Amino acid sequence: MLTVIKQGVLCSIQDTGRHGYRHLGVGQSGALDPIAVKLANLLLNNDLNEPVIEVTIGLAQFEFTASINFSITGGDLRAKLNGHPLYPGWRYFAESGDILSFSTSHNAQRAYLAVRGGFLIDNVLNAKSTDIQAQFGGYNGRALKMGDQLPFHADKTPLPHLGVKQPDYTNEVRVLKGPHCDKLPKGSFEHFLQTKWLVSDMNNRMGSRLTANNTVQHHATIASQAVHPGVIQYPPNGQPIVLLNDCQTTGGYPIIASVISADLRLFSQLGSQQSCKFIGVSVSQAHHAMKKLNSHLAQFALANNNNKE
Amino acid sequence: MSDHQCYLLGEHAIAFVLETSNPSSNEQRRLFALTSTLMNLGAFFDVVPAKSSITVYLKTPQDHPIWIKRITTLWHECEMASFKPTTHRFTVKYGGDYGPDLSSLANTLSLPEKDLIELHASVTYQVEFLGFLPGFGYLGTLPNALQVPRKKTPRTRVPKGSVAIAQELTAIYPSSSPGGWHLLGICDTPLFNPSLQQPSLLMPGDHVQFIPSKGGLCSQ
Repeated sequence: MLTVIKQGVLCSIQDTGRHGYRHLGVGQSGALDPIAVKLANLLLNNDLNEPVIEVTIGLAQFEFTASINFSITGGDLRAKLNGHPLYPGWRYFAESGDILSFSTSHNAQRAYLAVRGGFLIDNVLNAKSTDIQAQFGGYNGRALKMGDQLPFHADKTPLPHLGVKQPDYTNEVRVLKGPHCDKLPKGSFEHFLQTKWLVSDMNNRMGSRLTANNTVQHHATIASQAVHPGVIQYPPNGQPIVLLNDCQTTGGYPIIASVISADLRLFSQLGSQQSCKFIGVSVSQAHHAMKKLNSHLAQFALANNNNKE
Repeated sequence: MSDHQCYLLGEHAIAFVLETSNPSSNEQRRLFALTSTLMNLGAFFDVVPAKSSITVYLKTPQDHPIWIKRITTLWHECEMASFKPTTHRFTVKYGGDYGPDLSSLANTLSLPEKDLIELHASVTYQVEFLGFLPGFGYLGTLPNALQVPRKKTPRTRVPKGSVAIAQELTAIYPSSSPGGWHLLGICDTPLFNPSLQQPSLLMPGDHVQFIPSKGGLCSQ
């Protein structure tokens, strides 16, 4: 088992998300950085979609009550095992009684913790992700709390040391032009691309609200339509909202752009007062970017397989 | 001029959007028929209707140009299609602790509480779409006399089962949540259970009727 000693700001069980229930108002949930989930699982020879713990802004502490191989990926929240520093993108071995802690960091917001074989969590609506808003899935449908015990199958022997290069986290985010730019004041999309945006304090798993010195206000309205993680809404105050995994399934603000799938993970590490810039790309460039990420995963999986006896 | 647009949204979604944000009952029927046709194709991760649009999530994003054409064709073929909705009848306990906004709303609208309840229960509503919370159906259309703006300050907690109204819509909260609608009563029928194969009782296009409970505080 993994026992939660300190729950930190927000720790929750997530996989790569719940799909196929949007028409019932059920959101996607899932880790904000699905690539980090897949890498964490690849490091342990797990299925890619085993559930992991998403640790937000650290300050969390766990105790292993059985020995296990584990991995950490995502941002560097200065993880330590019994006080010894660990690095994201590596797998490690814990003995029963070992303490794993995460701290805060200026340039990282979220880390991912996986165990070999995965945490033993039930599927709800085809996923193990916690739907925090609707209170189902994951661990009892909620964020982790002090005293929670997450079961896993213990490992007797440590696997050899193994690390993986994680794709960089940058603050340059590629976007596709949104469908409502012609309803917004002329030049809004260009202004959106030229502006250096700051992530406001209103950023969480539902979305990130951005601010800038110079915003374009408007009166454009649209009828509510389906939205999903990556959609960038443009409310009348001109402060864009980048929708993330816990967003609602429909929304009524004009859509100025969509973050390409390959880059949405960048928002897992963009915290309050950090800046970001958007770069317009084509649909084929977006597909290409995703292919590149997937081939990074495939290459690592292949290399890892060749190393196994 | 075309009555709709159909475009790629992000890399994985195609939105089919009517030019009007207030579809006629005929357009509404066609939208439900198209939703059900698209759901039955099995070609998408999800088919998500809203009041005047349908968004599909592609399994193979590269095929988007084909689907944009195909969906437009299907819309035209839905001209004559019929749509047979399921009807749900829900018993509601109106007023008092069940509907804490009923009496103040009756005052605002200059209606006796009894008339307000009768008016609310006099209409067969249709689930325009689901959203906001799992299993939360937006039910239209509320009689004109009951249409009021949302509350200025939303409640931090609306109890599960609350029957509420705002603007031209009414709804039942499937779970407790913050909310800005006016609360008229409580309905005990469970609307959403994530452990069921079909987790939501309401589906887009379904009909809903409210029946005032005999034991309700204000309905004797």
